[in-house]
Amino acid sequence: MKIVIDLKLCEGNERCVAAAPEVFEVHDDQSHLRIENPPSALMEKIRLAIRMCPRQAISLSDR
Amino acid sequence: MSTPELSLGSIDVITPEHYQQNGYPHAQWTYLRKHKPVFHVEQPRTDPFWAITKAADIMEISKQPKLWLNGPRLAVFVLSPGEEALPPEALPLKHLLNMDPPQHGQYRSLLSRYFTPRSVRALEPEVSRITTTVLDDVMGRTECDFVTEISSKVPVAVIAEMLGVPRQDWPTLFRWTNEIIGGGDPEFQRGENPTETFAQARMEMFQYFTNLVAERQKHPANDVTSILANAKVDGAALPTLELLSYLLVLVVAGNETTRNATTGGLLAMIENPSQFQRLKSDPGIIKTAVEEIVRWTSPVIQFARTATQDTVVRGQKIKAGESVCLFYPSANRDEEVFDEPFRFDIGRNPNPHLGFGIGEHFCLGSNLARLELEVIFRELAKRLDRAELAGPVARLRSSFVGGIKHMPIRYKLGPSHD
Repeated sequence: MKIVIDLKLCEGNERCVAAAPEVFEVHDDQSHLRIENPPSALMEKIRLAIRMCPRQAISLSDR
Repeated sequence: MSTPELSLGSIDVITPEHYQQNGYPHAQWTYLRKHKPVFHVEQPRTDPFWAITKAADIMEISKQPKLWLNGPRLAVFVLSPGEEALPPEALPLKHLLNMDPPQHGQYRSLLSRYFTPRSVRALEPEVSRITTTVLDDVMGRTECDFVTEISSKVPVAVIAEMLGVPRQDWPTLFRWTNEIIGGGDPEFQRGENPTETFAQARMEMFQYFTNLVAERQKHPANDVTSILANAKVDGAALPTLELLSYLLVLVVAGNETTRNATTGGLLAMIENPSQFQRLKSDPGIIKTAVEEIVRWTSPVIQFARTATQDTVVRGQKIKAGESVCLFYPSANRDEEVFDEPFRFDIGRNPNPHLGFGIGEHFCLGSNLARLELEVIFRELAKRLDRAELAGPVARLRSSFVGGIKHMPIRYKLGPSHD
């Protein structure tokens, strides 16, 4: 599983940081991954971040 | 919530007069979520629509902005009795709310960086100063109208400040926003009917901003009006209608919604005193408290989307050209998303509410609204020893934006400690 952030959609609203601070950080008004391959223990928080993203900019990819 | 006799035949979630008399129809939305989450409504005084009441469906529709357009029908508006519908070109507005991709993104990105958490954080001292002044003005008294004297004053000041509107014009700005959103309410009506009220306020506001824009084109200042006045889309300056509509929408959207979240938030605190005590004793809870206030009050009742092709929502076929009405307060009480959705819990976390919408048209000002609510409730928690209703709450006659026009309170307010 790979986390994908669509930077064309992201506006830096920081909801992902609120949901999963271990995984996301925002600088220059754009969200970035802090870790590429998060442990499965964080999956629930990541799913919450995906749900909370107001611009629906985060998704999971199988690649 | 004691409405045992509900049936699909008796459901009415759109008549503005009902919102004025009874507030939000939560019992009916709960019934629809359970029995008919995609519900076809045909009523007099408006075109047919599908009422969408589940959070998952609202999210699904909102994330397909090319399938579901804003342009053809912004929201479900209901005519006043005897009022005739005007063709849309009679009162043109062209702004973020009724633009669709790709134009919407071009216009939104002109300002989005000024509304990020990082950008609005810089406004905090100003928001605090405004809030302190507003509260100081009612200190020493024991009764006031919380809406006209407190909750309405902060948002209008903040957005006026951002736009660079001189202070002496703020009361006029405030009146126009009342008339544009609340034109269906007799208290704010000018002229014969809501449409005339809207037309008049729109014309006056356009005139006002035409002058302000001309001034800022000559002498740009550090404000949003200057940015838009000198902005370019596809290499050209913004056309007049788009420019003036943008400013109008910033004023209206920045005002009504935050005011109503503030008023409804205090009402929730009055009705749940233990939650207010909790905020007073644990100020660090303010961020989740603000999210809960937005979930609880959901000031925007609905926006509509129109299908560009035949499609299906939750198994229900919807034809091209038909519209859906997204009821955000219903999504924010969705039992599938929230534990005990009818409990006001300022520590609720996570709180994936849809009070600011989601997707392409997600509220541009959400971070500013959050900041304003944070400052206001932080100050209220510090300074307000007690508050209770001193008379009935007067609600706005609107099924578009849920408004409280007046909320008389009896209170004891202490001095600012800053």
